[in-house]
Amino acid sequence: MTSDVKIPDPLDLEREEEARLRTVAGLPPARGPVGDYAGFESVGLPDRPPQTERERQVYTLEEGEMLVNMGPQHPSTHGVMRLVLKVRGEVVIDIDPVLGYLHRGIEKLCENATYTTVMTYVDPMDYLSSMHNEHAPAIAFEKLYGVQAPKRAEYIRALVVELNRVFSHGLMMGFLSLDMGGLTPILYGFINRDEVVDMLSAISGQRMLFNFFRVGGVNFDANDEFFSRLGTWRSGVLKTIDMNERILTDNEIFRGRTIGMGVLSGKDAISLGVSGPNLRASGVAFDVRKAHPYSIYPELEFEVITQSGGDVYSRYIQRIAELKQSIHLIDQIVDRMPHGPVQAQVPGIIRPKPGRAYAAVESPRGLYSVYAISDGGPNPYRFRMRDPSFISLQAIPKLMPGHLIADTMAVMASFDPVMGGVDK
Amino acid sequence: MADLRRSWRAAAGLGRRRALSAPAKAGALVRLLLDRFPELAADLWTDEDTVEVQIDGARNVELLTVLRDEPALNFFYLADAAAVDYGPTERFEVVYHLYSDRHPAWLRVRARVSRADPHIPTITGLWEGAMFHEREMYDMMGIFFDGNRDLRRIYMSPDYRSFPQRRDFLLPDDAADSPAAGVRPLERPETWDLSRLSEEVAPGVIAHAESES
Repeated sequence: MTSDVKIPDPLDLEREEEARLRTVAGLPPARGPVGDYAGFESVGLPDRPPQTERERQVYTLEEGEMLVNMGPQHPSTHGVMRLVLKVRGEVVIDIDPVLGYLHRGIEKLCENATYTTVMTYVDPMDYLSSMHNEHAPAIAFEKLYGVQAPKRAEYIRALVVELNRVFSHGLMMGFLSLDMGGLTPILYGFINRDEVVDMLSAISGQRMLFNFFRVGGVNFDANDEFFSRLGTWRSGVLKTIDMNERILTDNEIFRGRTIGMGVLSGKDAISLGVSGPNLRASGVAFDVRKAHPYSIYPELEFEVITQSGGDVYSRYIQRIAELKQSIHLIDQIVDRMPHGPVQAQVPGIIRPKPGRAYAAVESPRGLYSVYAISDGGPNPYRFRMRDPSFISLQAIPKLMPGHLIADTMAVMASFDPVMGGVDK
Repeated sequence: MADLRRSWRAAAGLGRRRALSAPAKAGALVRLLLDRFPELAADLWTDEDTVEVQIDGARNVELLTVLRDEPALNFFYLADAAAVDYGPTERFEVVYHLYSDRHPAWLRVRARVSRADPHIPTITGLWEGAMFHEREMYDMMGIFFDGNRDLRRIYMSPDYRSFPQRRDFLLPDDAADSPAAGVRPLERPETWDLSRLSEEVAPGVIAHAESES
């Protein structure tokens, strides 16, 4: 049965109504798909013409392709981030990461804060490695101001950053399996992490955002409670890691979903700026603790560990190896820790001479660096932070084409990004 | 006060291993750079663990290519690329930090960019990873990287108009002094209070707002 009555499209009615309301309110007409995107009705296209060649490439769809948003609220994006997946069936063809949901302008805030209060702003950046976030500014400001932290303070610094690395890597094992559907390892990871944050809370007074480092030292000396908790934790930590390893490392499903998945070659990793365990898992022996030794690392005995695979499994194995290495480093640091003051005499508000300083540390996610410029005033003229997970994210659009949607999560998790750091 | 500070500095020198060893080792790098680029002699500067060189923005690709590809230099890893704003009457700088396994010093390349015409060639051809660095610099400072094929905003929304990390962009706390950039609702120029702007504080903003509204 045919009919001459044209049934109006509800969407058209909505547009007409909006246009009418806009005319009444004196607003300009609404923007719709124009230019290169005209004619497409797919949900998810930007409501404006493409700004760049790359954007046009991602958002122009061919027959059989569609766009899927993963995020911004998605458990496997490790924070608030949106991945626009261009898919053909289950296969990912292209990825456009959309960032900025957590952007707080920390660099700008730090440029309006005094050198001491900068430490409170950098903490929530990469919230799984707050101690590292504070370490690099502390070194940079000490270079600017020309002061050296006492020996015991340097040992305490190295101790807390290694503890921080241990719980960060431990959690990564959990998150990786969680993103692939395994719930147990994250619980073991959190047992380990809670013991460590209780320990760090005993020394710094805070569980997550420590505000512990100072220009020329640390805020508090290590106390009895800290060492007591450290001893308890140390006696059981290898067992917790072993439990996790027994669940994951030889697990057939886990191996099947990680080996050969998301392979990143060493050459590509260097070109993309990937750093830390992700770079070393691709066979490049670049560790800031060895390459540009800072703090007391020249006095400690350790080797740079590398893997050859460059896949998700290698990045996982690399983290476990580094976790055990960190525990070994913690043993050395505790054995050799000297007595003495933990803070050089530095006033609360410092005005370093005009100058520039660059300081890089090896955070659990890679090369975290600070470039600080002083103009002689009480706050940094320019405070620049290079966050490793921000740069490592670029590897994901590079690696994913050809993989399945479900594997996106495994590859994302293997890079262990933290959106607090990505978005600054 | 001043005397105390000097004495801490003197004490600080004692415990510093880098201060004693690095400049001698960095000397090899300085010699190599001078051999290769004699015209940069006046723009070289060294720190305890950094060698710094200043160049014109237009030369960045040429210089960085040599630094990356020459075996004796071998600065294969781009550690950081950051933009610095030296104020409305001065210039921008794009600052590259490079790592080499041959030299025990960081290499810092400071490329000058005109503030009136902030354009500089992209280095995404040398390091793919420079893409996010350049997108961030464009987003925050408004520096344009010629040849970059994905120069979009990365943190702020695509219709955002200001460049929040410039020195003349003030935080909302200081809104009374701000040239109205970035603190107005929805970033629409027609909502800007042009009477508070002047050409010295925010060059080009008035013309831009008038053309948009």
